[in-house]
Amino acid sequence: MTTGAVWRRLDPLQPLLACMLAALGLMTVFSAHADWGRQVTWVAFGACAYAAASAFDYRRLRALALGLYAGTILMLLAVHLVGHTALGARRWLSVAGFPLEPSELSKLLLVIVLAAYLSRAERLSWRSFGGALLLAAPPAGLILTQPDLGTTLVLVAVLFGMLFLAGARAWQLFSLVFAGGVALPLLPFLLHGYQRRRLEIFLDPSQDPLGAGYNLMQARIAIGAGGLFGQGWLHGLQGQLGFVPERATDFVFAIFAEEFGLLGSLVLLAVFGTLLIRLLRSAAVAPDRFGELLAGGVFVLVLAQVIENVGMNIGLLPIAGIPLPLISYGGSATITTLAALGLVQSVTLRRRVVAHGDGTVVTLGTITRRAQA
Amino acid sequence: MIALGGVTPRARWSRRLIAAASIAVLLVGGLAVKLAQLQVSDGATLAGMARANTVHRVVLEADRGIIYDRHGAALVVNSPVWNLEVTPAALPLDARARTTELSELARVTGVPEQKVAADLVAADPYADVRVGGDLTQAQELALQERLPLLGGASIVQRSIRTYVDPLIFGHVLGYVGPLNEAELKQLRPSGYLPGEVVGKVGVEAGLETMLRGKNGWADVVVDARGQLVRMLDSQPPVPGGSASLSLDADLQRATAKSLADGLVRDHKTAGASVVVDPRTGEVLALVSLPGYDTNLFTHGISQADYSKLLDDPNRPMLNRAIAGQYAPGSTFKMVTATAGLQEGKITAGTLLNCPSYINVNGWIYHNWASYSLGQMNVAKALATSCDTFFYQVAAMVGDVTLAKYARAFGFGTSKDIEMPGVMPGLVPDRIWKQLQCGVPDLNSDACRWSQGDTITFGIGQSYLLTTPLNQAVYVAALANGGLVMRPTLIHEVRDASGHVTESMHAEVTGHVPASAANLMAVREGMRQEINRPYNMNYWFRAAGVPADGGGKTGTAQWGGSGLDLPTHAWFVFFAPYAQPEVAMSVFVERGELSEVEAAPIAVQLMKFYRDHVTAIRS
Repeated sequence: MTTGAVWRRLDPLQPLLACMLAALGLMTVFSAHADWGRQVTWVAFGACAYAAASAFDYRRLRALALGLYAGTILMLLAVHLVGHTALGARRWLSVAGFPLEPSELSKLLLVIVLAAYLSRAERLSWRSFGGALLLAAPPAGLILTQPDLGTTLVLVAVLFGMLFLAGARAWQLFSLVFAGGVALPLLPFLLHGYQRRRLEIFLDPSQDPLGAGYNLMQARIAIGAGGLFGQGWLHGLQGQLGFVPERATDFVFAIFAEEFGLLGSLVLLAVFGTLLIRLLRSAAVAPDRFGELLAGGVFVLVLAQVIENVGMNIGLLPIAGIPLPLISYGGSATITTLAALGLVQSVTLRRRVVAHGDGTVVTLGTITRRAQA
Repeated sequence: MIALGGVTPRARWSRRLIAAASIAVLLVGGLAVKLAQLQVSDGATLAGMARANTVHRVVLEADRGIIYDRHGAALVVNSPVWNLEVTPAALPLDARARTTELSELARVTGVPEQKVAADLVAADPYADVRVGGDLTQAQELALQERLPLLGGASIVQRSIRTYVDPLIFGHVLGYVGPLNEAELKQLRPSGYLPGEVVGKVGVEAGLETMLRGKNGWADVVVDARGQLVRMLDSQPPVPGGSASLSLDADLQRATAKSLADGLVRDHKTAGASVVVDPRTGEVLALVSLPGYDTNLFTHGISQADYSKLLDDPNRPMLNRAIAGQYAPGSTFKMVTATAGLQEGKITAGTLLNCPSYINVNGWIYHNWASYSLGQMNVAKALATSCDTFFYQVAAMVGDVTLAKYARAFGFGTSKDIEMPGVMPGLVPDRIWKQLQCGVPDLNSDACRWSQGDTITFGIGQSYLLTTPLNQAVYVAALANGGLVMRPTLIHEVRDASGHVTESMHAEVTGHVPASAANLMAVREGMRQEINRPYNMNYWFRAAGVPADGGGKTGTAQWGGSGLDLPTHAWFVFFAPYAQPEVAMSVFVERGELSEVEAAPIAVQLMKFYRDHVTAIRS
């Protein structure tokens, strides 16, 4: 294969969409008065990670999966032992002076590990179904006890989505949903006071307009105040005057929607939507089941975060501290997301297309093959 | 399809991937729909809420008007105090940090923590809530140091009413306090806001509309911490108007002192005195003792202090001058005399016996003297206060006519003076007495007006009640030739820019239906009373004041019927005789001998008046 051939296999739309998101993210973070220079640095680091991940042959990750999994667990254990506490939760590790949020990193690592595990067999047996659950449980448990309900839920979504993409049967998935339903009444006992409070406030935000419900209320007010065309960049009244809390991270979407209006929000959702479809397309062209599940896992990861973050901003879902990919301020999340997209690009770049003499293309993703079987 | 160089991008979509794509499209589409609802359908409402969040109308408090005496001496001033105020919205969002701050605020101000929390929860989140008022310098210093750590808290200078000599002027001026719920309901339409200060009693309440001023406002943009970002528009407050009262501060002090000295000398605890100008109805002095410290109320009275005032048997918060209702006793005899003369039952020269008692239908009615004082005319009957003389006159005139004359002199009506809480007193009549029984019974002695009621009515007993203010107005009417003046406390009212908006104007509210000659005959009796040697005249001579005027003592029984009842002492007086300038009533609660206890107080007052008349009248 020549270099030229490799570049021709590149999905040019995906990095373009990522760039658009990162640009909108930087604009919004600037408007939200966060440390803009730092976010620029992280985006730059993320771009490097993207390039490196694209160039890296993702297939080699399969062999590394066990080590990555062990690393994830160790890192999360380290957070519990020596992590920094902020806002009542232990989430950060200091690495070479940089704050590192291992739970962010673990999202991508779980995608890799599950992709590697689930791609061992073509069909999803009960054994591997149970194995996937067992694999996901330790990191999810460690993150839940930080406590970080939001990230835990993202991990659960990733597990569920990847099982679905790996071909789990309907009743397998249903049993998972059923187990979740059974566990739900136990949730109040598992949740920390503030988490339970958040859930209650979600159900009735007027309960405490100055306390926990404040976030939700103010975010909705800001979004609504944006109207059709928005109040203009840097001119959102609510956002600029500090009424929207966590305005650079959890509630960055509210800032965006207030300043760019419904039109801006729809453009943002359209960019996310297109990116998500591109990620699935990468899965569709993946040369092997591992690549396909890897791309599919990143799709689920991005989808889950977009839905939860925007959903909580507009009051559809309870508040959980989840960043909006590439828009929210935060190094670990930005770099992880770009690295994940880079890995998907790596999958796209390495798709194998064999042309038969009659011109029929036969190399297809494993899912496709199975579907045709 | 032809693949060139072995690389033809071509995707094959499995059902699972298509399903995943569909789910993604559906979910993102769902977000878009909800967003459209929020930003377009609810957009206007939410934009309004955003504006309400960020643009606040701040009330700029108008200074309350100052109250002066007739010569411009301030009787109340607005003095600055430093309050600790908190904007609830700017408190820390974190529950633990908020609790810490609340307990810190409670500790520094000494207000219970639960109360601080309750007040802040109940309030408008963007309004400043007073947590601690009237900080001491030590508290203020302690707070200033910690202020940067206390989100939303600020030290704000406000003004507070401080009364001059509240024990002397308190019953006239009253005090102000924050609106209570009932008052708020009533005053909301006039633009009052919760927590606003309003006059509660006295002139502060009576002149509320005038003193209040008009609050201004400022529309400001504030950030989430309640910090001002910029001002959009504002309207400055208009201070309240100022009032010069008709009171002469020095005369008021002298009245309070004479009364207080008299009470101490005779081991009495309560009394009142009202001095009016009979020509205009202007109140020159109005004193009720004991007084109380009205400043306690403006600084937020403690429960202990308040209970003490309420439980005091001498009832210091009762303004006896306007709201204390007592039988007038012999001071009422001028009404009986006027009625007898005017109705033609007697003339100035008619001589009646003054026996030690009279017998009416088998009932014995005694004079104060156990011996006959002989024959006398009406003037001498007034001067000697002969009860039996006036029993006879009352019987001749009859209760209905007597009540008519009492009302004509202003008995039984609430005077329209510039303060609330004025009591009317009582002029009894047959219907009134029947109504006292609940179910009228024309045959019951308890319900039916008796001849005895008429007879004792004639000497200011039976069921008759009056107030020191009514007494002063009544004497003024005797002095000025029969004009019942509206008593007023207003000398002059000025608006904030100093323009006079209201001046004292004499208002006649009634005419006594009596000829000048008849009234003169009554006044002659009052002149004789204070000139009787070895009696009242002694006090004037002792004080070096000429007994130029007219007076009448009264020792009124109260608390039922029978002998040896407790009494109140009265003295009513006007001077000078020819052209009266002052009319006054002096009341000593539980006084036993009016000519010994009440009259000397008036004499001391007259002495002060004589010495300072130029200053008072300037």
